[in-house]
Amino acid sequence: MDVLRIEGVSKNFGGVTALVDFFMVQHENEITGIIGPNGAGKTTVFNLINGVYPLDNGRIFFINQDITESPAHKRAEMGISRTFQNIRLFKNLNVLDNMKVACGWKVRYSLWEEMIRLPRPQREEKEIDEKARYFLEYLNLTQYANQRPDNLPYGIQRRLELARTLMAEPKLLLLDEPAAGLNPKEVVSLMEMIKKLQQDYNLTIIIVEHHMELIMKICSLIHVLDFGKKIAVGKPEEIKRNESVLQAYLGDGA
Amino acid sequence: MFYLKVLEITSLYTILVLGVYLMTGLTGLFSLGQGGFVSIGAYTAAIAFMKLNLPFPVALMMAVVMGAVLGFLIGIPTLRLRRDYFLLVTFCLGEMVRAALLYLAQLTGGALGMAGMPRKVGLPLILISIVFITFILYSLKRSRFGRDCIAVRDDELAASMMGINVFAHKMKVFIISSAITAYGGALYAFNILFIEPNLFNWLESGRLIIITFVGGLNSIAGVIITSAIYYSFGEFFRFIDVWRDVLLALVVILVVIFRPGGLFQGLELLPQKLLSRTERK
Repeated sequence: MDVLRIEGVSKNFGGVTALVDFFMVQHENEITGIIGPNGAGKTTVFNLINGVYPLDNGRIFFINQDITESPAHKRAEMGISRTFQNIRLFKNLNVLDNMKVACGWKVRYSLWEEMIRLPRPQREEKEIDEKARYFLEYLNLTQYANQRPDNLPYGIQRRLELARTLMAEPKLLLLDEPAAGLNPKEVVSLMEMIKKLQQDYNLTIIIVEHHMELIMKICSLIHVLDFGKKIAVGKPEEIKRNESVLQAYLGDGA
Repeated sequence: MFYLKVLEITSLYTILVLGVYLMTGLTGLFSLGQGGFVSIGAYTAAIAFMKLNLPFPVALMMAVVMGAVLGFLIGIPTLRLRRDYFLLVTFCLGEMVRAALLYLAQLTGGALGMAGMPRKVGLPLILISIVFITFILYSLKRSRFGRDCIAVRDDELAASMMGINVFAHKMKVFIISSAITAYGGALYAFNILFIEPNLFNWLESGRLIIITFVGGLNSIAGVIITSAIYYSFGEFFRFIDVWRDVLLALVVILVVIFRPGGLFQGLELLPQKLLSRTERK
């Protein structure tokens, strides 16, 4: 089944072309990578998928539903979850609350019940609390539960962002440079973590990354972007040998 | 008698501060028009009672509803704006309310204001209101609604990626805040017994915001304490009236530099916590 289908999407920022006529089909339970030099439009693809800004042309389908016009929060509710290139945790909430925020839209109690503390909100809050603690435990973050994210090491913050995406029980996970700023040891454990997540929760994952080793090892399909255009798509071995990809990365002399 | 009066005034302002706390403190929405909502509440209640001869509780309810409805109407065009523009637009709206009250002299008495309300609001009602509002705000703060508020304040984009409808959330916050503020205004009208359009201008709105900041963005207790100190201080030291704001400015500067999270940071005085502390001793 196709989880995501992007059909002929373009995006310009003023005079700058960020993405031109981009097509992409994402199958269920697969890990796909998007690579390309800086400014190639990789993050733009993510921002269009989860609705950070509107696109100029084309359509996006998520599980056979046209989400081109859906607002960002609706897409999150439908099951698209993401991490950010420059970590975006809520710095005034502790780790546990950061987790809880991600599934706030799931609660069934109303504002009024919440105001006067009826039993239902309390019961659901307890469930959310357990769920948050479960996922913290799952990614070995339990010891940080009551800390502010600002005080945590970079690698832990990245892992927390990953844990937070799981709270909404997403179908599609978008990881924007998950290995950025991690040391080699942390990258290895990140790779294992992503694979584990994918298997444990039947996730479909798209990764934007500069870290080639990570991309080549865990992705089954790779899209290569350059200056907003897709220049290649294929299995890791094919991409490694692709002429135009090498050219884009290393220049004409290569 | 004097102390009682001071306590009443202080408590009245504390209600206003609580209204502002939810939107400015928790959600990071700066409005320089909250003074307008105080006036709206005060005038709605006064007009309902004096001109329409409605019973006092109904007049109070009308003030709250009016605050909420106007909050909703004003929120539709303004809450999608960037925060700095929101600040400017609410500033204008607040001043518009003031101008409108001056202009609609037949209904509001214009610059002469309205007087002659019976004293329906005493200290007990004000204090009960504070307790009730604090309870509601605290309930909201510690569950989903409060988390969403802080998430929206910290990072709107990330918040929307978490499934929060940022606009709708701000709207709820603005409505609740405006309703509380209007309620405070209605109590004011029936306690001070005299209202005029210039009572709550944008400076007053700004003061409410500043107190929220000094008290602590994440602390309802801190905000209440700061508000109590500020407004009672003002009554006791009338003779150095001008210096009150100089002192406040000094405190604000010191707080912003040395305690950016506010005097009380995230402290909350909860009955459970206080009890458990004494038990341990």
